[in-house]
Amino acid sequence: MSSLMDKPESTTSNTMGSGVDQFENNPQAAVAAQDSGPDSRQNSRLEPVQEPMQEPMTLVQVREKLKNAKGKRYWRSVDELADTPEFQAAVEREFPASAQEWVDPVSRRGFMKLMGASMALAGLAGCTKQPEETIYPYVKAPEDLILGRPNYFASAHPFVTGAIPTLVKADSYRPIKVDGNPEHTYNQGSSDVFTQGTLLDLYDPDRSQKVLYDGENREYQEFAQALQDAVSASKDGTGIYFLSATITSPTLARQWSEVQKAYPRAKLVQYDPAAVGTALTGATWTQYALSGADVIVSLDADFLSGATYPGFHKLVRDYAERRKTPDNLNRVYAVESSTTTTGMKAEHRLGLRASEIPAFAAALAAAVGVAGVSAPSYAWTGEQQNFLAALAKDLKANAGKSAVIPGLYQDASVTALAAAINQALGNVGKTVLITQSINPLPSDQIADMKALAADLNAGKVDWLVMLNSNPIYNAPADLEFATAFNKAKVTAHLGLHVDETGQISNWHIPAAHMLESWSDARSYDGTISIVQPLIDPLYGGKSAHQILQLLLNEPLLSPYDAVRETQKANIKGDFETGWRKALHDGWIADTALPATASAAAFNGKVPTPSSKDAIEIIFRPDPNIYDGRFSNVGWLQELPKPVISLCWDNAAIISGATLTKLGVEEEDIVELTVNGRKVKAPVVVSPGHPDNSVTVYLGYGRSYAGRVGSGAGFNAYLIRASDAPFYETGSIRKVDGKWGVAITKSHYQDHRSKLFGGQGNGNNSLEADEALGERAIIRYATLDQYKADPGFANEGFDREKTNMSTSLFPNWTYTEANAWGMSIDMASCTGCNACIVSCYAENNIAVVGKQQVRIGRDMQWIRIDTYFEGDLAAPRAHFQPMTCQQCENAPCEEVCPVGATVHSPEGLNVMVYNRCVGTRYCSNNCPYKVRRFNFLLFSDYETESLKLMRNPDVTVRSRGVMEKCSYCIQRIQAVKIDADKDNRAIKDGEIITACQQACPTRAITFGNLNDKNSKVAKLRANERSYQLLADLNTRPRTTYVAAVINPNSELEETPVEYAPVKG
Amino acid sequence: MAQIFDRSSNGLARMSLVLTGLIVIALGVTLDQLQRSPWVTRQGQRAEQPVPFSHKHHVAGLGLQCQYCHTTVEDSSYAGIPPTRTCMNCHAQIWTDAQILEPVRQSWATGQSIPWIRVHDLPDFAYFNHEIHVNKGIGCATCHGRVDEMPLMYAQNTLQMEWCLNCHRNPAKNLRPTSEIYNMAWEKPSEDRPVWCSVKQEQEGIPTAQSVDCTTTDPTQSGPQVAMFQAAAEPGASSEPGVLGEAAPVPVPIPASYQKFTSQDQLGHFLLKAYKIRNPRDLTSCEVCHR
Repeated sequence: MSSLMDKPESTTSNTMGSGVDQFENNPQAAVAAQDSGPDSRQNSRLEPVQEPMQEPMTLVQVREKLKNAKGKRYWRSVDELADTPEFQAAVEREFPASAQEWVDPVSRRGFMKLMGASMALAGLAGCTKQPEETIYPYVKAPEDLILGRPNYFASAHPFVTGAIPTLVKADSYRPIKVDGNPEHTYNQGSSDVFTQGTLLDLYDPDRSQKVLYDGENREYQEFAQALQDAVSASKDGTGIYFLSATITSPTLARQWSEVQKAYPRAKLVQYDPAAVGTALTGATWTQYALSGADVIVSLDADFLSGATYPGFHKLVRDYAERRKTPDNLNRVYAVESSTTTTGMKAEHRLGLRASEIPAFAAALAAAVGVAGVSAPSYAWTGEQQNFLAALAKDLKANAGKSAVIPGLYQDASVTALAAAINQALGNVGKTVLITQSINPLPSDQIADMKALAADLNAGKVDWLVMLNSNPIYNAPADLEFATAFNKAKVTAHLGLHVDETGQISNWHIPAAHMLESWSDARSYDGTISIVQPLIDPLYGGKSAHQILQLLLNEPLLSPYDAVRETQKANIKGDFETGWRKALHDGWIADTALPATASAAAFNGKVPTPSSKDAIEIIFRPDPNIYDGRFSNVGWLQELPKPVISLCWDNAAIISGATLTKLGVEEEDIVELTVNGRKVKAPVVVSPGHPDNSVTVYLGYGRSYAGRVGSGAGFNAYLIRASDAPFYETGSIRKVDGKWGVAITKSHYQDHRSKLFGGQGNGNNSLEADEALGERAIIRYATLDQYKADPGFANEGFDREKTNMSTSLFPNWTYTEANAWGMSIDMASCTGCNACIVSCYAENNIAVVGKQQVRIGRDMQWIRIDTYFEGDLAAPRAHFQPMTCQQCENAPCEEVCPVGATVHSPEGLNVMVYNRCVGTRYCSNNCPYKVRRFNFLLFSDYETESLKLMRNPDVTVRSRGVMEKCSYCIQRIQAVKIDADKDNRAIKDGEIITACQQACPTRAITFGNLNDKNSKVAKLRANERSYQLLADLNTRPRTTYVAAVINPNSELEETPVEYAPVKG
Repeated sequence: MAQIFDRSSNGLARMSLVLTGLIVIALGVTLDQLQRSPWVTRQGQRAEQPVPFSHKHHVAGLGLQCQYCHTTVEDSSYAGIPPTRTCMNCHAQIWTDAQILEPVRQSWATGQSIPWIRVHDLPDFAYFNHEIHVNKGIGCATCHGRVDEMPLMYAQNTLQMEWCLNCHRNPAKNLRPTSEIYNMAWEKPSEDRPVWCSVKQEQEGIPTAQSVDCTTTDPTQSGPQVAMFQAAAEPGASSEPGVLGEAAPVPVPIPASYQKFTSQDQLGHFLLKAYKIRNPRDLTSCEVCHR
């Protein structure tokens, strides 16, 4: 992975001279300076950059501008909306300017290092002969391996929100792709960013590789002996403490109960920073069956954005199934404290501060008739009251056909109130199922952690064994864990990395990755999956099973035998047969947990909201790196976070109004203070974020994450206390300095619309002008509009007027049996990003690092464009996956001077990397801005462990080469060869692209357009199907299906303040 | 002032112009020839292998079939290099003391691979697939040459793109019956060596290799052996399935669809259709080899 990233220290320090520093910290100003004249490029390195001439618009002005705008209006970033000079400058250039890398010493060093390696390899590549290659055949070949054909193994990704059943693709027994298990009823083949990211986690070159004792190499056996001696010396386990991440494995739980039997005074503390005090650690587990829900209410539950919410794959699939056709639409109401994709997809969204949500939930419960709830009196605004009344009415009208979903990170009363509302509405047993927890050892993690800290301070802890836990980094700040930690006599740490805790523990044991070891776990409905290793531990890692087993009668019993031992109780019939079937299928049949009859009555207390002027700090696990466990996964670091499109950092995410109130701008540094603890963070605005509240993502600010994760972002754990783990009142103030952040949403905009005589209202981006009117990129209708005008997506647009004779170039004739095409459902896509990470793994896409992302050089072949609509304070968002459209009349092909991008007989635009000389004309001419150029040698050809990870069917691209989505041509070719061999046509659905495979909502459909019965051909014939920028006559093979939304007419009639003018 | 240049320098100038042109052309030709030369392509070069394995001895001498070692050639993109165990199948018994086989025994004892030097080495951006070629009538020898005559392995062909395209543009000139894929000595049909082929039971889902039947002996005159074999293997081909068991001594009627081919051109175009080989436009599209 690239090391070309900057650290927050470097952006705030002033060691490099003011000009350079300012230049580096304010890329937009830098861009502006570059564009001001041909000579400014050189000068800007030496002299301070001039401030932009024009003041940025104030929020009031932005709102004025919105009010006066006619028709639907979309925007992608606040800069664009305000039409700032920085934005103007950014769109002038296709690839934002790039002076930094020669100025910034860190980056230049990294570049020279990379260059050195590549020069040694490259030379005059065209004229020299290839180096001699060696073949290392097997000594004894495995029987079931056909080299060149992948094997697939069913396994599961154990995660604290429920295991995700997986089907892992292995090439020569090296795992090269982790996808969902298509036969499992829970996720049906879909996955999420974490599950996809586990692959790079396995091959992470920074994983710990040796057993260490106080920094010296030791043998694992020595550790085992020391632990066994200590435990037997203690007789009953006194002083032996285990600190583990939440235990998800039934086998580990069984092993622990046996340890407990043998050593009753040994203690186990589970601590997961992103799960403490949530429903994940409670004794009951709530499942939702959204296919039967006409009305869905989210009380701060972000169930559509990723696996941070339990049951994500099923919830989002059931949700999307009811959005695909307009005849049976559901309706989503979201009440939320931070801007999430759930809120953005909802028909009606109400942004409330986190502490207001319990009171709102109580008011809702009272309104729908839950007995025994007294809502705290609170001064709700008119808008909020209207929302509540309409919501309660809609819920009552849909009793038994609705679901109220509580947020994980809310007060316990919200969970209880949601259960009570569901009970009162008769949803329990229909759309809501309550079972016992799927995590086998529910516990009060906060209380346990406090007790552990107390015992440590009291000197009671002889041995502290940490299993996949990193308390030094992520323990609540008020426990002063680092101080307490040193009072343990011996500390031992099992982990994938020598992380913050591993650094100061006496013992460090490298952990086995989940793709390297046996285990088991329960998925959402409780069905047990066996976690099957795909590869021997790369660095001799050990699993938690092995550590606990050391204390039992058979200390060397392998995790394999331990898991078999546990599952003897669950596998019915002949064990060996059942075991083999469980391994083959990926789950043990009939192990789902039975539903209990009903929810407990509500008898809790509802906390009163904090004062409206108080600033609330909201802590959330990061959507990409969760609690920090995926910090060193470059794919996930570089992934733009949903809604705010921020990558490589976390930020203080606030609303536009709060930004104005604080008198700060984006990228300014603010100091967040909670109970006297302080941390510095960059400011990022999120449209729709509630005022007077700040969202911060956990998981950043690592000091020992590895080459990718260390130093990125700030550590929000430093201000997070044990009694309020997910929100707390605090304060925020501006401090000096700028913190350059990498936000991708302003990339890939061009100034074409002006040339084409666009609206000419001064906002010359693809997003604004072209999202309007006849070129509309986003087309949607309400259900009523759709009923009145089913052809809304195409009427008034030029789409079907495509005139084959208007092109200067001769038209392609297609005689082949197959014409590949793709259809993307705009109603289904929730912007969860799983497709992007899947594409990373499938297509060997390089990670470029923060600096390169900041100058617009990220290499993702597919991106999710987020178009906001309407008011800055209460927008709706549309998520549009954007990748190569495979135009039949492709602008890129005509301008390539070397024939490196050409048209295939089946209608694809194919890239021939070895022909590309890097003129970038193709990218200039691409109206969709989907081509990616390797400005530097981004691919890592050196690191051994990463070589194992590559997909052998896709070329690893080098410097100076353009690349783009190929519709996964390697998969098409593989199926074509199989079909030709068998003398048959390719079946519909036989070829699945990587993005389609990962998509939990099945928003992406791929297939043969010539086969009129194929899914994609039917979708293309759908009246709501439209092409993007069809008037350019590019005739894209990818089409989009316009969404139909189902708003509540009562709420439509009472527009909220600053509501956009509806077109 | 006197002329600096004599009149004769005109000729000199013209000559140098021509010469420069010639040098540029010569340089171009040299570079072009150089990059096609065995120095670059390693065509015909015998690499120094850990064991001087002789294909000639094993194929021509002992009659080992190609797939005995290259097991996955019909099922995978990769034909497969045999594991040490394959060598030891025989060499645990014979030539057990041969010095020349020391690396093999060493590998077997230590579990370390024998480090062979790759003879047919495509660039990493070119994706070749063995299975589709052998299933559609390209014989081993077409690309690898007469391996049975090579005491030490070398690349018969350049494996350059030009060479690949030569065939992809006109596959007919190299097609042979799939029954002859592993036949090193296969020669193109001629008046002296005709080939008879028939297509039966052509049906979607049945590999084309199975529905095309070719023979180098005249099916109308050959002894009952071929015909009997045909009848036994393909019950559907017999007009009287009920009498199959008794049919053995009786000459089975030869399917009328056998066609006689006396030139590669005829045979190639017949097989092109029979094997349903994609058209040259499809076969020369970039994504066929580059991904």
